[in-house]
Amino acid sequence: MTTSTLPRKLFQLPFSRAFLLWMGFLAVLLVIGFYAAIQVLLKGLVITNLSDAVPWGLWITIDLSAIALGAGAFTLSAIVYIFGIKRLQPVIRLAVLIGFAGYTSAMVTLLMDIGRPDRFWHPWVFWNVHSVLWEVTMCITIYLLILITEFAPVIVDAKFFDGWTRLRAFGHALHKFTPFLAVLGLVISLLHQSSLGATYGVIKSRPIWFKPSMPIMFVLSAIAAGPAVTVGVAYVLEWILGRRTIPHDVLRIITRFSGVGLLAYGYIKFWDMAAVTYYGSTPGVSKAFSLLQQHTPYTFSFWVGEVILGILVPAILFLVPRFNKNPAAAVVGALSAMIGIIVHRWNVTVGGLFVPLSYSPGTVFELPIGSYTPAPIEWGVAVLVIGYALTVITLAVRFLPLFEKREH
Amino acid sequence: MTTQKKKAKKKAVVELTRGDVLKIAAAAAGSIIAAPLLTTGPLSPFGQLKQGQLEGENYAGHGAQLGQHHWGMVVNLDQCIGCEYCMRACTATNDVNAEEPWNIVIPEKTSAGHTFFLSRPCLHCQNAPCVEVCPVKATYHREDGLVVMDYDRCIGCRYCQIACPYDARRFNWEDRSDEENPYVPAWGTPEVERRPRGVVEKCTFCIHRIDAGLEKGLKPGVDREATPACVNICPVGARVFGDLNDPDSRVSQLIASNPTFRLRDELGTNASVYYIPPREGL
Repeated sequence: MTTSTLPRKLFQLPFSRAFLLWMGFLAVLLVIGFYAAIQVLLKGLVITNLSDAVPWGLWITIDLSAIALGAGAFTLSAIVYIFGIKRLQPVIRLAVLIGFAGYTSAMVTLLMDIGRPDRFWHPWVFWNVHSVLWEVTMCITIYLLILITEFAPVIVDAKFFDGWTRLRAFGHALHKFTPFLAVLGLVISLLHQSSLGATYGVIKSRPIWFKPSMPIMFVLSAIAAGPAVTVGVAYVLEWILGRRTIPHDVLRIITRFSGVGLLAYGYIKFWDMAAVTYYGSTPGVSKAFSLLQQHTPYTFSFWVGEVILGILVPAILFLVPRFNKNPAAAVVGALSAMIGIIVHRWNVTVGGLFVPLSYSPGTVFELPIGSYTPAPIEWGVAVLVIGYALTVITLAVRFLPLFEKREH
Repeated sequence: MTTQKKKAKKKAVVELTRGDVLKIAAAAAGSIIAAPLLTTGPLSPFGQLKQGQLEGENYAGHGAQLGQHHWGMVVNLDQCIGCEYCMRACTATNDVNAEEPWNIVIPEKTSAGHTFFLSRPCLHCQNAPCVEVCPVKATYHREDGLVVMDYDRCIGCRYCQIACPYDARRFNWEDRSDEENPYVPAWGTPEVERRPRGVVEKCTFCIHRIDAGLEKGLKPGVDREATPACVNICPVGARVFGDLNDPDSRVSQLIASNPTFRLRDELGTNASVYYIPPREGL
């Protein structure tokens, strides 16, 4: 009996003014977002700034980023349940929650991005096993189911389900499958986190995409940055709630892991760059990069966004002991790594499409270099997705026992 | 105290019973047996596919398996005058968005600086990148070499557009049901339905004419009724259509008697459209 009342007291977060204000802010985001989404559904993608030359843009960037930033769930689950580092257990619930928010956000974005949202279920029925995108769709669906199963015990522990003993017992029974789910989740996640990169890497006709390092860089950056996001959120929640959520030594281990992961990602990125642009450069690739350098802020965003903010700054903040102990540094590092991921996904998607296709055998004709700036309506849908993710996290923190110590 | 701790640790780490070992061994043995069954054996979802590919004479990666016909085109760059009739007839016949034509004609220059015109339908690759990437098989190879779209299945993800090396695919960004087609009726009348909003579309080699023509016993590429609109309208005969599998067809003979090339052949797309270069070379 004591176990069911004590934690709740600990966790009471009243509907304070600040909380209501925050909910009001989220409501504004959602209203703006829903308006934009309905406009897109009614009028079609013509009201976006996407075109036949640049058919993927902001939404695909959000989709890729949300999945990468949700990677903390599978990485930390694997660390705890497969590699047996049980010390990190207290972070799992939060990591799974963020994963859930990330993956569902990605699905909402995808639903808006496809021309026929009414046919969203087609990949599940009409299989094309040769398509990377089909594999990604299947994996993301399966992984979302895994996340829901992993999170079910937390949901049934909510106060709301106090009377539902059978449901609660079922939810807790699901928890017994956690190690199995962690293995399945690891396999499925390694698959789709990489194949999101392969989506670009297998396209032979696009010079800056076609390389085998694409999936590796996607999966490595996700494994590195995902857990960092979880840590950042944990510290921020601690400031908001005014109490310890997850032991700091646990968070510090995770930031260190993240730092090492980022360095590994940086190493692959360095060699990728060296191989593609220096040692093994081909005319097509050189031309593509010089076009991007001339017409877009690609060089700046690559060095500042992807390398400095995405790798160096967080790696230093996560690994240097003085900063590693500092929650503020961890939050800044997590934000920085997040920006790095988003800029990388944008640069890959939009940068790759900016480089025009060349198929004419003559000497003159060239398709114009692509141009794309997201339309206000696209930002509106982005606001919807961000508002949605924040709402999910807020409600879960408010109503679910995320940080309780429970014996399992 | 310390020894106790050590003992406790040891106990927690190693706890393999004989039963566990047997279980692991059984699982390993099971996997070894299951692996070939699932990958190449009768239980494999891929088994049938591989078999089919190995049997196909024109094996091209995951590409098309050809039947009796292989529809293809020869475009003679030496003859093309850049009048854009093909583009207009195509846009009228297939009721295409005039601003985003399927068929394009572009002025080009040879390395010597002389102008020629490159026109480009869908190349109907036998190893088509668009077919490989489509997550729902909305675009697929037909046995006669055509790469076609199932507009009822397409989800509008636009991955095919991104994968096509030739910029041959067009997305329906908006509902076009009220839009006027400036090329109708001067250049032809629509013979197919307009595609709905939100799907990707492309040149079909006027598949409706080929299929209807064959049923009537006509020969596509010879009988005008069964031949693509762009080929029929060309005032200089720069476009020739026919069966690449038939050595007596005009396309086969042109390919046999002329130097030809295909666009970006190095990508291995195995296109069904051949180009005869300008006489002076490219």
